Amino acid sequence: MTKTIALHSYKGGTGKTSVSANLAALYASRGHDVCLFDYDFRAPSLQVLFKTKIRNTLNDFLEERCEINDALHDVSEKYQTKGHLYIGFASSSTDSMREMMAKDRKWEMKALHRTLSAKNELCNDGRADFVIFDTSPGVSYSSINALAASDFVILVSKMDEFDMEGTKEIVRGIYQSLGRKTGLLLNRIPTEQFPLGAGQKELEEYMSKLFNLPFLGIIPCYCDIQASGGKYLFAVEQPKHPFSQALSEVIDRMEKLLRTV
Amino acid sequence: MSKEDSSPEIVRLLQQLNKSIEFVNAKLDNLIDLQESLTQILSPSKKPSYEGLPLDVATLLSLPDHLRKTALALTEVSEATATDISMKTGRVRAAESDYLNQLVTKGYVRKKRKGHDVYFFVEAK
Repeated sequence: MTKTIALHSYKGGTGKTSVSANLAALYASRGHDVCLFDYDFRAPSLQVLFKTKIRNTLNDFLEERCEINDALHDVSEKYQTKGHLYIGFASSSTDSMREMMAKDRKWEMKALHRTLSAKNELCNDGRADFVIFDTSPGVSYSSINALAASDFVILVSKMDEFDMEGTKEIVRGIYQSLGRKTGLLLNRIPTEQFPLGAGQKELEEYMSKLFNLPFLGIIPCYCDIQASGGKYLFAVEQPKHPFSQALSEVIDRMEKLLRTV
Repeated sequence: MSKEDSSPEIVRLLQQLNKSIEFVNAKLDNLIDLQESLTQILSPSKKPSYEGLPLDVATLLSLPDHLRKTALALTEVSEATATDISMKTGRVRAAESDYLNQLVTKGYVRKKRKGHDVYFFVEAK
């Protein structure tokens, strides 16, 4: 049965897009069929990473100008993944972004139904084992639509106070209200301040207790990933990289949690 | 009567009880429909119960917990009976029927009859 996962965060800059793209690629490398959707309509970025010719966008799908299959782009051959890796891109034109900002509640309700029908279609025709949503940070319609359509939420947070206070609030006000199972992933952790190794277990226990959420992992801040500017899909291009290894562990930890959703 | 002998009898009685509850539920749905029709006839100035309010995620989040769970379950399917929703939420059918009718009264959900069954749906178009 298809599992739907949304990656969300309170603030921007937590590395959601990097994590979601690499997570999708890792699942595909392991032989699963995966659909990755860019639901960050305010600042789309998956097209920078995947650099493929885009026929139809998810904006077209939500506006009923095409069906979900027309908005999926198969990049499996390019990355030589064992399973299929399909990407649904958000339109990066400023006109489209402006249009999305001006939508009313009725349109957003329709968007929720289109999102749910896409998920059901992909599930029913067996096209995807995993549907992954990369969302915009904070509380926006597109993000919450994606969260409402998901079985599981990966909450990505950095270790700064602003991020953590807001994160606690969205856990209570949104994820719990929607009844969505959630796991916490700490990303871009500066290892000078939070040395991993012996102290990692204590940090995990502390954070898990603070947010009252199962813990998925800690990913340190890697300078080479920052320097790459989102040009590489590390999970498949450099599978031995510690970032890829850390994400692989996240998948293993999630497996048990996904069995219960 | 031994323990072994009484088991089939208990199953039969439970099945009979379940049929009776389903019968009562159907009658209650008919009564709710009748009451709404009568309200329309007696107070024609009153707006119809469905006002076409959008059941978007902001509305979903603003609903009380018990109604949100029902509304979310209904949002995930195109249409459903109270029994279908109770199977999704794990709550009893009578409670779901009440919550669905509350959502109809609030104007977020519509309902229609198909034979003996009442189907609830969110009009997304």
